[in-house]
Amino acid sequence: MTLQTQNIWNGRIGTVTIGADRAHGGTRTLQYTLGGEQDLAAVGPGATQQRPLIAAEICDDPGIWSPIVNTFMGDTVNDTAGWAGTMESEYHPDIVRLHLTSTRKRNFKDFSGIPETVSGVLKSTGLPLIIEGSNDPSIDSEVYQKCGEASSGERVLLGTAEAGRYRSIAAAAMAYNHCIIAQSPIDINLAKQLNILLKEIGVPYDRILIDPYTGALGYGFEYSYSVMERIRYAALKGDQDLAMTMISAAPDSLNIREVREARDDETDRTAATWEFYTAFSAVIAGASIVCVRHPLAIPLLKSAIDSIWPHSAGREA
Amino acid sequence: MALKALDIYKLLPKKNCKECGDPTCLTFAMKLASGKGDIEKCPYLDDHAKSVLGASTKPPVRKIKIGVGERAFVVGEEFVQFRHEKTFYHPPGIMVSVSDTQTKPEIEQIVTNVRDYVLTRIGMDLRLNGIAIRNDSNNPEQFGTAVSYAEGCADLPVVLMAGTLAAAEAGLHECGNYRPIVHCATRENYREYCSLTKKSGAVLAIRAGTPDEMAELSTLCTEAGQDALLLDLSSRSLRQFINDSTIIRQHAITRTTPSLGYPVFYDATIPDNADAALVLGILKYGAVIVIGPPTRPSEKALLTLRQNIYTDPQKPIQMTAGLYRVGNPGKDAPVLMTVNFSLTYFTLQGYLESSRVSCYMLIVDTEGLSVLTAVAAGKLNETMVRDAIKKYGVENEVSHRTLIIPGYASPLSGRIEEETGWKVLVGPRDAAEIGEYLETEWKA
Ligand code: B12
Ligand code: SF4
Repeated sequence: MTLQTQNIWNGRIGTVTIGADRAHGGTRTLQYTLGGEQDLAAVGPGATQQRPLIAAEICDDPGIWSPIVNTFMGDTVNDTAGWAGTMESEYHPDIVRLHLTSTRKRNFKDFSGIPETVSGVLKSTGLPLIIEGSNDPSIDSEVYQKCGEASSGERVLLGTAEAGRYRSIAAAAMAYNHCIIAQSPIDINLAKQLNILLKEIGVPYDRILIDPYTGALGYGFEYSYSVMERIRYAALKGDQDLAMTMISAAPDSLNIREVREARDDETDRTAATWEFYTAFSAVIAGASIVCVRHPLAIPLLKSAIDSIWPHSAGREA
Repeated sequence: MALKALDIYKLLPKKNCKECGDPTCLTFAMKLASGKGDIEKCPYLDDHAKSVLGASTKPPVRKIKIGVGERAFVVGEEFVQFRHEKTFYHPPGIMVSVSDTQTKPEIEQIVTNVRDYVLTRIGMDLRLNGIAIRNDSNNPEQFGTAVSYAEGCADLPVVLMAGTLAAAEAGLHECGNYRPIVHCATRENYREYCSLTKKSGAVLAIRAGTPDEMAELSTLCTEAGQDALLLDLSSRSLRQFINDSTIIRQHAITRTTPSLGYPVFYDATIPDNADAALVLGILKYGAVIVIGPPTRPSEKALLTLRQNIYTDPQKPIQMTAGLYRVGNPGKDAPVLMTVNFSLTYFTLQGYLESSRVSCYMLIVDTEGLSVLTAVAAGKLNETMVRDAIKKYGVENEVSHRTLIIPGYASPLSGRIEEETGWKVLVGPRDAAEIGEYLETEWKA
């Protein structure tokens, strides 16, 4: 006898392509096709397993970014494009996630600045991009239109659609051929419902990534971990409406007490460790993209992911 | 396969005599079905019922106690593959390794840290659990001496990573009565290890290369009379660990391979990816995990992750609603309203204590939801606040009528004012700012 795992699956995770290289009409140096898994993360035959990707988060207004990252990066944070380039050349993430934090300002009006920022980042890095547009329904439409247009042809991942506000982002994604992040608050049914809403307005499932919302380690992560496991489980059991790849980011990680109150000489290490524990656990729960903010979290994650997924499957160079 | 409560009930005498300690045969059956009961407690079971129920009501992963005294811990007694199916019950013991080639002060320093380090989160004291002593010297005597150093400075559970029978014996000589784990027996030497560990009541970790070989070896050990076992698959890679450990858990809980129904031992001291191995050990069913001395950031993160994963997902950890004091609040002390989610309570309380302003915390019962979650779910409203003020006699404790509410509850401020007749101040969103806020804004 040879003892095997016993879950019986009859579904598989759908695929999604992020980034467009020259052969596909974009300017990225590589692109990724994620998904296709037929078992739990890192379980079962390696051939069906895609290597999860690491996204490095940066922003265009560091005023509301973690002071720990700002201090670590120094002046770089004031030059968004340069920041993106530095992340790629020095820390080697798989993706850059640009948060347009400037749009969070009260009465934001600088819509023409968006294309400038986006194309600057597209020039300074060859990696596929995630672009986080606005947080405010009243400017969504214009912000997403600008993001979509400025990155047209690059097949970026646009964030973030939620149950109450998904139309503008969906419209931009469809018009410019991008993918979108669908976020719901730690609830498998709400995740499913949002996917169905998106499908109803014409977004195909191979353009959607599920973000089940990740609470920081010690501050809600236990819920997020289990909801990711449940979504993956439901997908493998055959629920098509949940069979998308998942993205996980714990935006509060660097604001929590344990990280903020670390000893001065241990701040960076604590921040990176905290992000690593959260992101790596999310990978094991089934996330295909994990996002971190502290650059030192990237090599930790890379080493762990490489040791489980030595092949670089998702990568189409 | 596990039996359902009703199937078990059919086999019970149905006397409802309460002698088992349960009010009815049915509640006893429900306890058995959940693996938490003991069939021996019913004196009236016939032989048929005993034989059917005996095997199928025992926990599918055997419960094993490690160490003695205050720091002893229990592992095993788990029932599910995913924590959302029910919960994970017994958090893994984290054993920090020392080498018998280290000096006495070096060993003592590590042992003392494990003995004394406490991370208090949500009112719980989280600790590392014990010491693993490695026989790197290949010298039984030196190994025994290292064990005595560790034993000499703390009553912690230990793993004797002896490698050889002679070293195991030397180690047991020092700590044999304290229920240590002896690591490890293989197919070649299990008889000797079984009789050695049985004699002293030690727990035996056994090692095999595949789940199949492990199932065989564990059967041999139980036949040799040792059933306090831990399974070490000596997984060569992280990926292999996930697979092996998943196979063991599944075969145990479905009872398809009962000889795999023992807790998993994992040596996570692998080079380069020690934190990753540790995370996997915690997430994927490790019950005793050996690590190198952790850095302070890792120490905190691992204890927090373990706490998260081993929290009951069905119900948040809650505080009893009521009026709590911080310091020595007088008649003019501020009253801060918050929710009964433990994490919220302890986070706020921690910041209030460091602000050194004596005050009252009014805890409203939101069924364990955090502020933002409770507001979003409609589980926090003005009538609840009004009732809490009345119920806990806040009006007798303070002479003023001003309530500070969390920043995230600001949408409710107007309605709380109307309903309670109290003046409402909206506090900061982030509890870290509460000290500064009270200093600048608070006047009774
Ligand atoms: C874990 C979590 C859950 C868990 C529940 C956890 C719990 N026990 O509450 C689960 C998965 C069950 C859950 C469910 C829901 N959630 Co939820 N959840 C979270 C998450 C990730 C963390 C919450 C947490 O633990 N925070 C930590 C505690 C300590 O925070 P806190 O209580 O707010 O306390 C802080 C401050 O308020 C302040 N403070 C506290 N008291 C006081 C008092 C005073 C006087 C002052 C000055 C300050 C102060 O100090 C604390 C530290 O700074 C948050 C995201 C987030 N960033 O908050 C989403 C979040 C709160 N959830 C959200 C939602 C929408 C929901 C649901 C309604 C979704 C649904 N299913 O319909 C449900 C509702 C629950 C229900 N009906 O059962 C949204 C709320 C959106 C909004 N802005 O209104 C959030 C923000 C996620 C999001 N971005 O979408 N959730
Ligand atoms: S002791 Fe036996 S017969 Fe009596 S109530 Fe309990 S289960 Fe029923």
